[in-house]
Parts: sequence; C-alpha cells; structure tokens
Amino acid sequence: MNEAVVGTRIEREDGWGKVLGETHFPADVNRPGELYGAVLRSPHAHAHIRSVNVRAAAALPGVVGVFTAENVPHNAHGVLFRDQQVLVSECVRMVGDPIAAVAAETEKIAREAIARVEVDYEILPGLFDPEEAMKPDAPALHPDMHGPSNVLYHLPIRRGDMQAGWTKADVVVEKEYRTQMLDHAFLQPEAVLAYVDERGHLVVKVATQYAHYDRGEIAHALGLKYSQVRVKTMAVGGAFGGREDISLQIIAGLMAWTLRKPIKMENTRTESFLSHSKRHPMRLYYKTGATKDGKLVALEAKIIGDAGAYSSWSPNVVRKAAIHATGPYEIPNVQIDSYAVLTNNPYSGAMRAFGAAQPVLAYESQMDLLAEALGLSPLEMRLRNIFHVGSVTATGQMLTSSVGMAKCLQALTPYLATKGDAS
Amino acid sequence: MDYFRPRSVEEAVTLGQSPGAAFLGGGTDLVLQMRQGKVNPQCLIDVHNLAELKEIRRNGDVLELGSMVTFSEVSDSNLLQDSARALWLAGQTMGSPAIRNQATIGGNLGNGSPAADAIPALLALDAEVCLRSQAGEEVISLAVFLERYPLLAPGTLIWKFLVPLRGWQSGFAKLGRRRALAIARLSVAVALKTEGETVMDLRVAFGAVGKRAFLSPALAARFIGRELDVHWRTEMISGSQELVRETLKTRASAPYKAVAVGGVMHQALMLLQE
Amino acid sequence: MNIELRVNEQDFRLVVEPDERLLDVLRNRLGLIGTKEGCGEGECGACTILMDGKAVNSCLVLAAQAVGHELMTIEGVGDRLHPHPLQKSFVELGAVQCGFCTPGMILSAKALLDRNSQPSEEEIKEAMSGNLCRCTGYDKIVKAVQRAAEEVAR
Repeated sequence: MNEAVVGTRIEREDGWGKVLGETHFPADVNRPGELYGAVLRSPHAHAHIRSVNVRAAAALPGVVGVFTAENVPHNAHGVLFRDQQVLVSECVRMVGDPIAAVAAETEKIAREAIARVEVDYEILPGLFDPEEAMKPDAPALHPDMHGPSNVLYHLPIRRGDMQAGWTKADVVVEKEYRTQMLDHAFLQPEAVLAYVDERGHLVVKVATQYAHYDRGEIAHALGLKYSQVRVKTMAVGGAFGGREDISLQIIAGLMAWTLRKPIKMENTRTESFLSHSKRHPMRLYYKTGATKDGKLVALEAKIIGDAGAYSSWSPNVVRKAAIHATGPYEIPNVQIDSYAVLTNNPYSGAMRAFGAAQPVLAYESQMDLLAEALGLSPLEMRLRNIFHVGSVTATGQMLTSSVGMAKCLQALTPYLATKGDAS
Repeated sequence: MDYFRPRSVEEAVTLGQSPGAAFLGGGTDLVLQMRQGKVNPQCLIDVHNLAELKEIRRNGDVLELGSMVTFSEVSDSNLLQDSARALWLAGQTMGSPAIRNQATIGGNLGNGSPAADAIPALLALDAEVCLRSQAGEEVISLAVFLERYPLLAPGTLIWKFLVPLRGWQSGFAKLGRRRALAIARLSVAVALKTEGETVMDLRVAFGAVGKRAFLSPALAARFIGRELDVHWRTEMISGSQELVRETLKTRASAPYKAVAVGGVMHQALMLLQE
Repeated sequence: MNIELRVNEQDFRLVVEPDERLLDVLRNRLGLIGTKEGCGEGECGACTILMDGKAVNSCLVLAAQAVGHELMTIEGVGDRLHPHPLQKSFVELGAVQCGFCTPGMILSAKALLDRNSQPSEEEIKEAMSGNLCRCTGYDKIVKAVQRAAEEVAR
C-alpha cells in the first residue's frame, strides 16, 4: 500500500470548481426543449388504491404526459429485492410512495397538474411498531415478495455456553435501548436530467452513490438493454448513504424515453424527506454479565431494526448491527438475535456506519452501568475487556492486526484522569 | 400579479387600496408563504426601501423606528443598545445574519407569528405603533393593538414604532431548538425602572406562549416596590413559570414551557444592562 | 415585468414574473448556477448571495426587490487566475467536501471579512451561523476563514 499521502495535505481535484461556483450538480444542467417533471406522492402510510384518474391533470394546458403504474414496463426496483414500485399500482406502503408523474412545460404547470390527479384510496390501518409487526397475526405487508411474516431478516449469532456464562456472572445488567429515525438531510435535494441522446441512448444525469446499479435498474424497469442506458454521475451534494437507492432516476428516464424529450426533475426539501431512505430506528434489548473483577462473561442481545416499508439494505444493516453488538469487547458467551422488520414507516436503508452506529448506545451504556455496579472506573472496565491482537469476536473472527483500541484508551488515560472520568 | 415600488408612504397607502394588495417588507416570510400557496396577493407593494420607513432616530424623549428597519440595523445600532436594550438583544438572535439583513421589525409584527422576536421586546419597552391608511394616521399602544383580530385591516401600513425613552433597563432572551436560525420556542422581555435598589416600575412580556405575544401587568404588579435582590429574581422566575402554566393550561407544550420559561427569564434578567 | 439587475458588476435587462425569486432568476435566467437551492426556506444558506455587500438568502428575496441593489454571486468573487483569498484557503485547507454549501459559505465569510478583517473565531461562527454544511466540515471552514483573514490583512 502506498502510504505516502497519509499525513499530508492533498488538494481536492474538484475543490477549485466548487469554490468558484463552476461545479455542476444535477440541478445545474439543462437541455434545450426540456420538460419539467413532478411526482404525486401518497399522503397515507398504508392504503389500497382503488383508482387513479389523470384526466384533469392531462387536460391542463402545458402538460405533455401523465404517467401511472400502467405506463411502467417492469414496475419494480430495489437494491437487494425488487420490492419497490416505480409508480405504485395498488398498495401504498408508506407516506411518500410515488403514484403518478407528470411532464409539463414548466415546473409550475407540472406541480399544478399533479395536484389534479385524483386518487381513490381505501385507507388501511398502518403498522408502525416493529414489534407489533413481528407478531405472527400481524398482516403481511409484502406477502408476494417476502412471504407471510414481516420479519424480513433474522441473524442469530451463538458463541460459547450461555448457561455457563450466567453462572460465572457476579453482576448482570439488563436494559432496553432505543435509537431514533434519522434523515441524511444531504444539502442538495435529489435532481435529475434525463434525455435520449443522438445515438438513441437514454442518458440520465444524476447525483448517485451507485451509478452502475442505477443503470441496471433503469434498464430493467424500462425494458431496455444495459447498453441503451448511460448514467452520468454529476457532483454529489452530500449522500451519506441516502443516495444508494433509486430516487427520481427511473421516473425521469421513463418520461424522457416515452416522450423523447429531455426531462428535468428536482425534489423540494419536503419531497426529499418524503422519498429517500432513513437510518434504521433500533430497539436493543441487552443483558450483560460480568465477574466481580470486571471481566465480561455473557451477553444476550436482541436487536430489532425497523426496516420501514421496503427492504433496501435492511438485511445488511441489521447484520452489521449484530456483528458489532458486543462492541470492541471480548465476551466468551454470546447470544445475539438481530431482526429487520417491515412496517409502514419510511423505509430504512444505508446511512453512515450502516448499522454499526446504533448498538454503540447499548453496549457502551452497559459498560458504564457494569462499571458502576462493580465499583470500577468506566475506563478500567473497558481496558479489562478490550479487543487485542488474538481476540476472537462473537462471530468467530480472530483479530490478527491493527487492533489499536487498548493503545488508544491508554493514551487518553491522563486526560480522562483529570477531566473526562466521571468516577 | 402586479408589483409596485412606491416612492412615498402616501403613494404606498394609495396603492394599498387595490384589491388583493399586500405590503412587502423584507420578504423573508411573505415570499415563502406565497410560494407555499398560503397567501395569494394580487398586488405586491414593496415598501422595503422606502427611506421614510427606514429611520432610527431620537425625537426628544421618543425613539422613532421605521417599520422597514431591518434586524441587522437594530442589532448594529448603538442608540438601541443604550436605550432599548431588549429590542437590541432580540435583534442579535433573530434568524441568521442573512435573515436579519432582510427581515424588518414591521414585517415581524405584520406577519403575526406568536414567535415574532421583536414583539415581546417592543411590548416591554411600552412601544406604540403608528399605522397609516386611507383613513389617516393612527397611533396605538402595541399592547392594545395586539388585541385586534384580524391584526391589520386591508390597506393598513405599519408605519413606525414609537419607543418612550425613560431611562429604564431592559433585557430579552429566547429559547430556540438550536443557537442559530431558531424560531423562538419561548421568549421573555423585561423592562424596569429602579431607584437605588427598589424596582419602581416594571413591564414583563412573553412570546411564543399562546397565539400572540403579551404583557403581564398582573405578574409585574407583584414585583413593583420591592428590592431587586436574589429573592426578587427567584420569585420572578417561579412567577413566570406559574403564569405560563396557567396560560397554556392543557396544551401539549405546557409541561415543557412552564419549566423552561424559568431559564429564559433568568437569562433575560442577567442581560439587563448595568 | 421588465427589470434591471446589477450582478457581479454587470447590468442585465430582464423580463421576470413579479413573484419570481431572485434565486430562480440568477440560476435560470442568468445561468449563475453557483447559487444553490438546498431548502427553499432560508434554513440552509446554500442560496446566500451579497446584496449591497450584505449576505441575504436569495430564495427569500424577489428578483424585483433586488432592483437598484448591487448583487454579488460566487461567480463574481474570483476566478481561476484571480481567486479570492477565501477561495484559495477553502481549497488549501480542505474546507470543501461535497461543495454544495461552499458558495454560500464563502459569500457569508466575504460579507464578514469586508466589514471586519480581523474577526475572532466566535465572530466567524456567528457570521456563518446561517450556513449549514451536512458533511460537517465546520472546523476546517472556520480555519479557512481565519487563514483568509490573515491573507487579507497582509
């Protein structure tokens, strides 16, 4: 590995364009003759669509096309499972689900037109509590794709002998922790420009974290060959995981391909909040045991991640939460169960640390509580259990290099002794 | 939609008679409300740059503040810092620097938000509002004016504020969800006159407690004629908590605001000038 | 309606709608795409420009209101051959990440330095308090403003 750049100051290649205001984010590019697209989104979290009437919208002067589910050749997308529709046909599963799209001569007309689309909803009770949604008698939100249960994913991790672990424990701390839903709130709302180029290829200019995947999803939904679709990544105005899923790419592509006109779309901040993924809210049930000399001996953890309405990256995210559930501490006896559960909440997906952030609240709080119960300093409690080279994690991985935690904590000791250590 | 930029208050008031007319100040509320479709004026009368409405001046024992004085101009004014500190403090914390550069104190009143930052300060300072309309001029105490529903009759322009200069001390504090760009969750303004250590007169105003900012003469009355000491401050804090609890009754924000106002009051009292 | 705007020391005659935002006129009619829209309601500061040297949110100002004022957008601050010290320090100190907040940050900082060439850290933070950076690069942004202030003072 070339380590020559570590510790040196490298100027960003794109820095100058950004400080001069020259950089093109997707909202900054246009094509002659472009139309403006807007999307009608569901105000309901769970509903059956009886009918969608677009006549009044289509009749508005300046409207060039109105699109609903029936105009989408293959109406499905999703990073792991294609359980999300480009435009919802029958079942609304979250507030913000897209139902119809309009292409019009101006943004104003497009937005007026979507307000004229009439949707007849049969509003259904929503499942908003993941533990309710896990119950066997809860109505299944995706029976066709994910079967009769809303438990999308379950990862059990087992190590050692729990019975033996609890027997050795002099102190046991049992607590429940909850983390909240978070939005990435990247500063640049989603925007896209889609057009058919001189070779007959569909070009989609977008700020994305995942251009090759977008290309496949656009091609799939529109029934095109990969070679007919080009995704050009513009400057990305923040993403933090929130641009891994499809946002406006397919809808804009569909309208551009069908109408053979460039389509420009920009989300307002509100639409941005309504449409992209969120950080998984998690419920973490932790029971941790330690001996009186401060050694961890047993952990039983149940982690329930609220996947929301669609799977997105949920299995991977709750898997990561499970893998990190012990924190950087050696625990010989472990029983971890991590679940992703479908609900009618906004869908959860990738966000910075990808499931590793939430368990921190639980395992570090447990360490503080155990330290208090044992009369140890929080620092000492951690030093007695911290991973070293040679430690084996709950998943059986032997750590062989680059395990700097103990060194790091020791370096902090003088500081903690004077300021940071509550004890 | 029509847009006019009158050259005088007279002309503005005449234009204000047009159907669907709205006076446009800095625009930080109105432009957004128009875009959100909450208001749909047929005619905008932009008075933001009218020199007559932009003056801050001392006229004998009265401070005259044009309605189009911006919050930045308020917070940059030494005159206000010395003689109308509560308003000057409100000018420091309202919105962000960019909002303060556009937003005006007249607009703050006209927009009618319960959380308007300038209003509790102006109430505590015993300000009067001067209105102009086709019917002529009207000068009315701000406290009385705030009892009107709707606040402004069509075509009425908020012209200026008159703040009496009585040598009182004043302070203002607000609670927001973050340090910058926070809409007040609570605000408190206090103005008082002392002789030696004795409080001779007192005005206390609250913002974001109920639909509009208000003065509480009843609360103030309990603290006049007493020595401004630690007991006075402690009881003023608990008194403001009782008042907010009674005012908000069963509103969802009551348990929070009834406690939090104590801290805001404490801060407002700390910020009284020496 | 017909209006004349003065932007970056150039005069433009334009036909605009009375309710058209200055932000949209700058971006769509003048092609000055360096001014960004992040929230459309004065919360994020990405649309910050200077009006008579003062920072304003161009999403909350009508184009018509800007008539008679001297406007400056990021495009008027400097160019590759003659960058403003702020542009230089933002690049050199890594104060630019995704770059979407950067034009607004630089304009808020410029309004500050033009008024106060030796600001304290607290004054810098206050002047930039209406500009959000979601990449959370605030520390480097503050340092970049300090570095630029040193260069301006020199």
